[in-house]
Amino acid sequence: MKIIFAIAKNTFREAVRDKILYAILGFAALFILSSLFVGQLSRGDIVPVKSFGLAGIYIFGLVASIFLGSSIIYKEIERRTLYFVLAKPVSRANVILGKFFGLLAAVALTTIFMAIIYEGVIFYQRGGFDYGAILAVLFQIMEESLFIALLIFLSSIIPPLTSTICAVIILFVGHLTPSALAEAKLVGGISHKFISLLYYVLPNLEKFDIRNFVVHNSPIPGSVGIIAFCYALLYTILLLYCAILLFNRREL
Amino acid sequence: MISIKNISKKYGGDTVVDSVSLDVRNGIIFGFMGQNGSGKTTTMKMIVGITRPTSGTIEIDGALLGDMSVHEKIGYMPEAPYFYDRLTGLEFLRFSGELFRAGKKSDAKYDELLKKVGLHDARDKAIQMYSKGMKQRLGFAQALVNDPKYVFLDEPLDGLDPIGRREIKEMIKSLKASGTTVFFNSHILYDTEELCDEIGIIDKGALLYCGPVKEFCANGRLEEKFIALVEKNTTE
Repeated sequence: MKIIFAIAKNTFREAVRDKILYAILGFAALFILSSLFVGQLSRGDIVPVKSFGLAGIYIFGLVASIFLGSSIIYKEIERRTLYFVLAKPVSRANVILGKFFGLLAAVALTTIFMAIIYEGVIFYQRGGFDYGAILAVLFQIMEESLFIALLIFLSSIIPPLTSTICAVIILFVGHLTPSALAEAKLVGGISHKFISLLYYVLPNLEKFDIRNFVVHNSPIPGSVGIIAFCYALLYTILLLYCAILLFNRREL
Repeated sequence: MISIKNISKKYGGDTVVDSVSLDVRNGIIFGFMGQNGSGKTTTMKMIVGITRPTSGTIEIDGALLGDMSVHEKIGYMPEAPYFYDRLTGLEFLRFSGELFRAGKKSDAKYDELLKKVGLHDARDKAIQMYSKGMKQRLGFAQALVNDPKYVFLDEPLDGLDPIGRREIKEMIKSLKASGTTVFFNSHILYDTEELCDEIGIIDKGALLYCGPVKEFCANGRLEEKFIALVEKNTTE
């Protein structure tokens, strides 16, 4: 654990000193703050403000994950920084896990920072905080955990650009398959089989989207949280396990 | 003692290291020499556990490589090292120290190491601001962070100015004086002759000579003997 913690701390430190992260945070802050204008345009209706703000947190959280995570292992191999690490009493599994926790900490911190700006905007608009948004951000961090594990898995086998493209496609499909499956059930045939395959193989990221509930102040069933947590945990463990297996076979 | 028995490394159909066997006694400086692409770096990467041999075994102090306790005893500096550029020199050394199971080291220990390699004044600068020579020195410092019994250096004198080379050579000598075994790769023959007790010569993945440097240079300079041996191997 000590070694995983040391690698995680180092990864976190490297990530939070990356200028790209500050650029992303700057844009995110501008985007979330611009929801103040949305508030004016909607003549005091808070729903568009919440919707715009939470969407901003989500999009920029994913952008940060992709920029920091798509080359995280590949870069270490290409630049040979791993040579220092692996000659020490460190296993390749330690490297994968340390990188995962360090990157998750950096992305979660970025998300929390954006959430604070969002709460500031909401407080300014209606004089109170949006407590439901805290829950939405927690769900988002669960999704980010799964997504970072996916990026680490991809980064350990393919170059950054390919890894980014694959991750974005999986993200898109992962949000689309639940509704696509419902439609395909009505159509049946090969389309149904194909979409079912995608649904069961790729991560179902819709499980982490409770933003609509939060925006409209609808009650969120307790089971949704438990299912999302268990799903994120199991999927993340599976992806990290596969990443370790592949990384162990990789020639350096 | 470092004991290497019949190690080979193949990448696809290419044999990069071919049945190399050698023993390195404790407390000596061993120079591993060869031309570019001869298999020196691959051999060293196998010894320190970065890459696995296709066949053969490597033992350090009687324990097979792969046993994590072996890694506690070794220090390694890769060739032309790359670092985590956004860290400072001191942060990188701290990180290196934290990767060992032994108790936490104090900053005084890291300061001492940085002084030893002449980087103390630059300890709080980001590594991306370091020159090539400074990076080489930092690579050397991190290899010593665990007070290793065995130190492996891949081209340690590359990229250093004459004063830097002299300092690193002095450090290698002082490591030997303190009982540390030093195994280094080099194609700079002058330094090898000056520093080493024993040498190994590798060409096209095969070990051509392993033994005392004085014995090898009995009737001439190391450079002449080395070229003659490699050319003979090429024509055979």
